[in-house]
Amino acid sequence: MEEVDRILIHSLRQAGTDIDEDVQSVKQFTSELIVEAVVRCLRVIDPAVGNGLSHSLPPGMSARFRLGMSLAQACQDVGFKGEIGYQTFLYSNEPEIRSLFMFLVERLPRESAEASDQPAGKSVLLQRAIAAQIKAQLSVPWLPPTCRLPVHRKTQSSGPCHSFHAQPLSLPCSLKVSSRKQPKEVQEYWRNYLLPVTAQPSQPASVPASLLENHISELSAAQEWESEWNSQGLLSRLTPEEYRSRKKARLQKRIEEQLRTAAQPRPDTHGATRSTSDLAELLQSFGGASTGGDVLTKGTRFTHTEKFTFTQEPEKAVQQMAAAASALPSSQQSEEDLKAQQEAELSALQQQLQQLSVQMEEVGGGIKQLTVSIQQVTDELQTREVTNAERENSVKIKRQTIDLLPDAENNLLKLQSLVESSSKRVVQLASQWEKHRVPLIDEHRRLKELCSNRESESSRKLSEIKDLHDKIRQSAEEAKKKESLYKQLLTEFETLSKDVSRSAYTIRILEIVGNIKKQKEEITKILSDTKDLQKEINGLTGKLDRTFAVTDELVFKDAKKDESVRKSYKYLAALHENCTQLIQTIEDTGTIMREIRDLEEQIETENGKRTVSNLEKILEDYKAIRQENSALAAKIREG
Amino acid sequence: MIKLLEKLPSEECPKLIHRVVDEVCGRSGPSRSDYSDRWSLTEWLELMNSFSSLIRFAVGRGCSDQEMQTLLSDLDTTHTEAVLQCVRSRFEEIRQALVDRTNGISSTQLRDFNWQLKLALSSDKLSALNTPLLNLSLDLKENGIQRSVNIEMNKEELQTLISALEAANKVVLQLK
Repeated sequence: MEEVDRILIHSLRQAGTDIDEDVQSVKQFTSELIVEAVVRCLRVIDPAVGNGLSHSLPPGMSARFRLGMSLAQACQDVGFKGEIGYQTFLYSNEPEIRSLFMFLVERLPRESAEASDQPAGKSVLLQRAIAAQIKAQLSVPWLPPTCRLPVHRKTQSSGPCHSFHAQPLSLPCSLKVSSRKQPKEVQEYWRNYLLPVTAQPSQPASVPASLLENHISELSAAQEWESEWNSQGLLSRLTPEEYRSRKKARLQKRIEEQLRTAAQPRPDTHGATRSTSDLAELLQSFGGASTGGDVLTKGTRFTHTEKFTFTQEPEKAVQQMAAAASALPSSQQSEEDLKAQQEAELSALQQQLQQLSVQMEEVGGGIKQLTVSIQQVTDELQTREVTNAERENSVKIKRQTIDLLPDAENNLLKLQSLVESSSKRVVQLASQWEKHRVPLIDEHRRLKELCSNRESESSRKLSEIKDLHDKIRQSAEEAKKKESLYKQLLTEFETLSKDVSRSAYTIRILEIVGNIKKQKEEITKILSDTKDLQKEINGLTGKLDRTFAVTDELVFKDAKKDESVRKSYKYLAALHENCTQLIQTIEDTGTIMREIRDLEEQIETENGKRTVSNLEKILEDYKAIRQENSALAAKIREG
Repeated sequence: MIKLLEKLPSEECPKLIHRVVDEVCGRSGPSRSDYSDRWSLTEWLELMNSFSSLIRFAVGRGCSDQEMQTLLSDLDTTHTEAVLQCVRSRFEEIRQALVDRTNGISSTQLRDFNWQLKLALSSDKLSALNTPLLNLSLDLKENGIQRSVNIEMNKEELQTLISALEAANKVVLQLK
C-alpha cells in the first residue's frame, strides 16, 4: 500500500495540490487536504465542474456539508461508481479515500504525452533556438573590455546600446529645397561650406538615425500631400499652388479666430490683461502679415514664384526698352536706306510667295480630283469585264444549241441517251463508292473506339500517377514530420533528467508480478491439498459407513442369539454415536474458528475506519450545527 | 560686438558664419579651439551670442538687404558682404529652424523617440513566458531641460496607448 500511496501523492502534487513533505500515506490525509486534492483533480479533469468548487473547507458546518454533497455529486458526474457522499470527505476512512483517489488519478488527462506527439512549429523551434543561444551566452563569463577575444566582442560589446538620436541635416537635394534653380550664393554654400552628411551631426553614432529621420519626414510629408491632393485638391480644380495658398489662408483665418476668442478682454482678471494685450498685438501683426506679408515672409512657393514673375516681367520690358533706346541714336542714314530697300524687296518676295502658294494649292486640289476619278473609272472597268465574260459564256452555249437545232429529233434522242448513260454511270459509281465506303467507315469507327479506349486508359493511368505522386509527397512530408519529431523527442529525451524512480517502479512492478505468481502457485498447491484432503475425508467416511453397516448387520444377527453380543451391539451403537458427535464438534470448532477470523478481520477494517474519532467528530459537528441553527433562529427572532 | 569679426580675414569669415548658422539650426556650432588665438573666451562668447541673435532677428523679421546692412553697419563692406551672402544662402533653412522653435510653444515637448520590441522568453518563475514587450523611450524637453522617459508596455497597454494617440490624431485632422 505504501507504494500506491507514494504514486498517488506524487500525481496529486502534479495536479496542483499542496501536500506537505511529511505526509507519506493516504492515512495521514486530513479532511482539508482531501477536499483540496479532489477539487484540484476535478479542475484538471473537467474545468467546468471543478471551477465551481472552492478548494478550501469553509468554516461553517452547514457550508461544509453542502460542499461535501456537491463534491460527491461532481465525483459521480465524472464517473465514480463507488459509494460516495458527504461523509466520504468529512469523516474519511482510508480505503474509500484511496479508491476515490485512484479513480481520479486514473482519470487525469495525460496532456504531456499527447502534446509531444505533434512536431513543434517553426516559431517554437525559433524560440527554442533563441533560448539556447541566450543560455549559451549567459554561461560565458563576463570579461573586461581589454581581455575580450574577437569571439566575445560580438555578444559583450556595448555597440548596439547607442540610443537613437536624430538631428536636423542640411542636404542640397531634398523636397524642402525646391527643384528650381537656386541662387548663386546657395550654390556656392553647397559647393564650398556644406559639411559632408557624416560630419554634420555632433555624434557620429547619430548619423544613420538622422538620415533615417530626415528621409522619413520628407517621405511622409510627400505622401500626405499626395493623398490630400488626390482626395481634395483635385476636386477643387485649382493648381497646386493656388490650393496651397487657399489652404494657408484658411488656416491663418482659423488661428486668428481662435486667438481672438481667447483674447477677449476679461475684466475680472488683472494678470490676464497684459497677456491679452500682447495677444492683441500679436493679432495685429498677424493681420498685417496676412495682408501685407512684409513682416513675416512666410512665403510659400506660390508667393515666391508670383513675386518672381511679376517683378521679372517689368524688368524685361525695361531692358528691351533700354536696348531699343540705345540702338536708336547710333544708327546711320545709309543703313536706313538699305533697310528700306531690303524691306521693299522682302515684301515683294513675300507677295510672290503667297501667290505661288495659292497656285500650288489649286493644282493640288485638281490632282486630288483626278485621282478620285481614275479610281472610279478603274472600278467601272472591272465590273464591265466581269459582265463581258458572263455574256461570252452565254453566247457560246446558245451557239451550240443553235448548231444542234436543224436535226432536233436525233439530237434530242442522243442527248437523252447520253443523259441516261451518265446517270447510270453515276449510280454505278455511287454503289462502288458505297462498297468502298462501308469498310472504310467501319475501320474508322474501330480505330476511333480504339483511340478513345486508349485515351481513357491513359487518363486513368495519369490519374493513378497523380495519386501516386500525391501519396509520395504525403509520405515524404510525413517522414519529414516524423523525423523532426524524432529529433525533437531525442533532444528532449537527452535534456530530460534520467528519472531513477521510473526504473525503480518497473523493477518493483516486476517484483510484485513475481510475488503474485509465487502466491498463485502456493494457492493452487494449497487448493489441491485441500481437495486431496476432502477426497480422503470422503473416502474415510464412506469406508466408515460401510464397515459400520457391515459390523452392525453382523452384530445385529448375532445379538438375537447371544446376550453378551447384544451388549456389545449397544456399545457399538454408542461408540458410533459418540464418534459422530466428536466429528460434529470438530467441524463446529472449525467453523467457529473461521468465524472468529472473519470477525477479527472485520474488527480490523472497522478500526481502520477510525470510527471512534469520526463519531466524535460527527458529534462535535452536530453540536456545531445545532449551535448555528440556534444562532440563526435567534437572529430570525431578533429580526 | 559684431566689430570683433573684423579680426578674421574676410575669406575665412563665411566658414565661421556658416557654422554659427548650423548652431542656430540645431547642429554643432563652431569650435572655439580653431579660433582661440584670435579671440579671448569672453569675446568669443559675446561674438557667438550676438551673431546668432542677429541671424535670428534678421531671418525672423524677413529683413531685406538694406535692413541687414544697417544692422551690420559696424562692419566694413567686405565682412558685411560675406555675412549677407551667408544669411541669404541659408535663409530658408534658418526660417525652418525658427518655425520649429516657435512650434514648440508648450512647456513640454517631444524631441525624439525610440522603440525596441522585446520578447520575454522566460522568467525566474516561469520556464516559458513568450510575452512580447515594447520598450518606448521618449526624449522630452521640459522647460528647456532634456529628460528621457522610458516605458515598458505589454500588448494591452500598447493598444491603449495607440488608441489614445489615434484619437489625438483625429482631433489634429479635424483642425486642418
